[in-house]
Amino acid sequence: MSEILDRSKKPGPRGDIKFNLPQIERFNLKNKLNVLFVHKDNLPFLRFNLISESGSKFDPKEKKGLANLFSMVLDEGAGKYNSIELSEEFEILGSRLNVSCFNDNIHLSLQTLTENLDRSLELLATVILQPHLDEKSFEKERRKILTTIKQLQDSPEDIADIAFDRIVFGEENAYAFPIIGYTENVENISINDIKYIYKNNFSPANSTLIVVGNSTKQQLEEKLNIYLSDWKSANNNNEFSLTSGGENLSIYLIHKEGSVQSEIRIGHLSGKRNDKEFFAKHLLNLILGGQFSSRINLNLREDKGYTYGATSRFNYLKGASHFFVSCSVGSENTGNAINEILKELTEIKNGITDTELEFARSSIIRRYPGNFETHGQITANLASLVLHSLPDNYFNTYIDNIRKLKIEDINTAAFDNIHPDRLSILVVGDKNLVLPQLRGLNIAEIIQPDMWGKI
Amino acid sequence: MKLLNIDYEKFKLKNGLEVILHHDSSLPLVAVNIWYRVGSSNEKKGKTGIAHLFEHMMFQGSANVPKEVHFRYIQEAGGTLNGSTSFDRTNYFEKVPSNFLDLALWLESDRMGFLLPALTQEKLANQIGVVSNERLERYDNQPYGLAWEITISNLYPNGHPYSWPTIGSMNDIKSYTLEDVSGFFKKYYSPSNAVLVIAGNFEKDIIKDKVSKYFEDIPSTNGTNNNFDPGSSSSNVKLDKDIFIERNENVQLERVYFAWHTEKAYGPLDNSLDVLSDILAGSKSSRLTKHLVYDTEMAQDISAFQFSGKYDGHFMLIATAKPGIPLNKLKAEIFKELENIARNGIAQKELTKSKNMIKFSFINSMQNFDVIADHLNHYNFYLNEPNSFNYDLKRYEEVNNESIIKSVSKYLTNHHVELQIKPIDKKQNV
Repeated sequence: MSEILDRSKKPGPRGDIKFNLPQIERFNLKNKLNVLFVHKDNLPFLRFNLISESGSKFDPKEKKGLANLFSMVLDEGAGKYNSIELSEEFEILGSRLNVSCFNDNIHLSLQTLTENLDRSLELLATVILQPHLDEKSFEKERRKILTTIKQLQDSPEDIADIAFDRIVFGEENAYAFPIIGYTENVENISINDIKYIYKNNFSPANSTLIVVGNSTKQQLEEKLNIYLSDWKSANNNNEFSLTSGGENLSIYLIHKEGSVQSEIRIGHLSGKRNDKEFFAKHLLNLILGGQFSSRINLNLREDKGYTYGATSRFNYLKGASHFFVSCSVGSENTGNAINEILKELTEIKNGITDTELEFARSSIIRRYPGNFETHGQITANLASLVLHSLPDNYFNTYIDNIRKLKIEDINTAAFDNIHPDRLSILVVGDKNLVLPQLRGLNIAEIIQPDMWGKI
Repeated sequence: MKLLNIDYEKFKLKNGLEVILHHDSSLPLVAVNIWYRVGSSNEKKGKTGIAHLFEHMMFQGSANVPKEVHFRYIQEAGGTLNGSTSFDRTNYFEKVPSNFLDLALWLESDRMGFLLPALTQEKLANQIGVVSNERLERYDNQPYGLAWEITISNLYPNGHPYSWPTIGSMNDIKSYTLEDVSGFFKKYYSPSNAVLVIAGNFEKDIIKDKVSKYFEDIPSTNGTNNNFDPGSSSSNVKLDKDIFIERNENVQLERVYFAWHTEKAYGPLDNSLDVLSDILAGSKSSRLTKHLVYDTEMAQDISAFQFSGKYDGHFMLIATAKPGIPLNKLKAEIFKELENIARNGIAQKELTKSKNMIKFSFINSMQNFDVIADHLNHYNFYLNEPNSFNYDLKRYEEVNNESIIKSVSKYLTNHHVELQIKPIDKKQNV
């Protein structure tokens, strides 16, 4: 017999849960390559992620897209294998090597069944140590990228993301450019540029290898030294510019003929990741726009029905960060949606409520164990540790750092970090439908850059 | 594989609700996953999109749960949640710290039993706005975004439940009234039409009492589930001629879509068609990718997949042409390769690669309780046996050269739909 239930009462938690954070083990290979290892033995596989600080922020002025093109060519043949054979060797193991380029880093990631560990490391090492970087593959990959750049103009989200970076970071900043590059720049890159990057930027001295899975520190140390210790350090090219962008309220409109929606980005530059207000900003954003139940989404989606979803975030790169709100709304509601977002960004500076603080804090703290469930999640957490040079006890102190925040801390963070008078507002949509609405906002002159955000 | 053998217990409550329990205490988390046996295939032409719109209404609160707090309560507990609608079914799921299981069960049971008292015109109007924007964002305003809708509406005969997209047409979405929504609930959201899976860390000795406590008093409605009757066999759906469609859109590159009728989920060649899609276009060394994207650079990208559902299935091949390459040239190369496979078969190495990738993906799917929970419901729905991971993997291991040849010659030589999407000719537009 079941007991009689009073449905009007929301059930609370039953007791507390126990949870142990994964232990991070560190060691160096003979060539000084940094290794971060987390032991996890519930499944018979391992995940590797090599992070090399040689991302697109180092691209020279006339060669935007160089790091990305390098990352595309890197696995096009290595050792005794041509491009297709190399891919087949991974596939035969049920595995696939992914090379991706980001603003700060290039990632080489790989999952392997434990039974194939040696063979996978051998192949990974072949790619790192003996890539062909031949002219024919280079030309192939370059043609592919040039076509991809052409295709970008089909996608309103991509146009908005790329143009917004350029607007917010400002012309000269190393983070202002699309990782994929510009057509005229990519055409300018030669195979010698690729070889130069391999020799000078891609190096154990600026790299970290993350390993998660069922092995031991001792076993890994031994195997990794066999396969990877011949990888030698080179000169590091560490120059990039971090000048700042615009600081005035401004509106930009990029015309996309026939669009039935407007892609909206609204934001400004923000403080760095190691800023002491980081935790307060994280909580603040959860209240403002970081999840479904945040103010911005509840207003624009659940109250007004303008959009399928609206979010805000602080986006942290290694040397800079920005805050922005993004959403996609029916063209006819473009002006209204912008108005509501501006209202929310002004309103948050009047302070949050105790209920909101409790909600956000509880959500983060209770969610925390779930962030370490999969190999992929643990790897991603370690990658952010590496990217931002955070201490190893970062995860262990995380919950305390959230718990001790007071309402004043959040309100100060809003005061310090949300600046309605410095926002860049970008709309990608059909000019004929949108321009009158933007004029009607009556807040700034409307600038109309090209699809790359160039004025 | 021992790893893929998932222990479970299955039972039924008096109101017909089926329950599947899988216990695993390795992490302090628990997943709740409910499948309702209703999807867009239960709709009628001219009244499409209601199954999906209804899914949205399930997050708008119920008798004891105010609007907006369903998400808030789960997120406050540190959980994640969502729902999704397909042709065949609608699912709702939460993953919460294990001490918050009651909260998830309370929320799910309140909307299963007591949604209607909380339904208002205002909420419906709001979600019609949200879903209209979802359609715009995900389909109408995406490059090539209408290709799926155009393909299936030409491939499946008029009135076939897979002939319209789950999101529904804009006119239909905007037409729904409170009466439509409550009628839909009464017809399809009876506990007897649902299966609840709980997977992960729960207290074994009290879990059944807990399930009864929240779900047993929900009355079963008499609504009949008048599913589409596929007749003798849905695989008999055939085109009597090739269908060719050409469209001009605001895109840069020409793209072609081919679709053939094949067979439903877990049909005799469903597995071979899956493996075939991988051999054709699943990786850099796959046949069409190597030939068209890598060697000749005639295509920018190429992909292939077997879609299969409860009533029917089809195979799709999609290729984007490099600038200056006519689609008909791509088409000729694609059909030449299909003919080649039908005649000469494939190499053992190609099979091994695909099978190893598939095996790894099975192991990978064992990482999350929420993925396991959804799989248990999936297998229960299609095979009536939740613990079918090993059966499913074996199905792929059994694919061989003969079954690949058969899947090409039986299906991919038949009449097909061809959709070509080309850039708008700017000169014509001036």
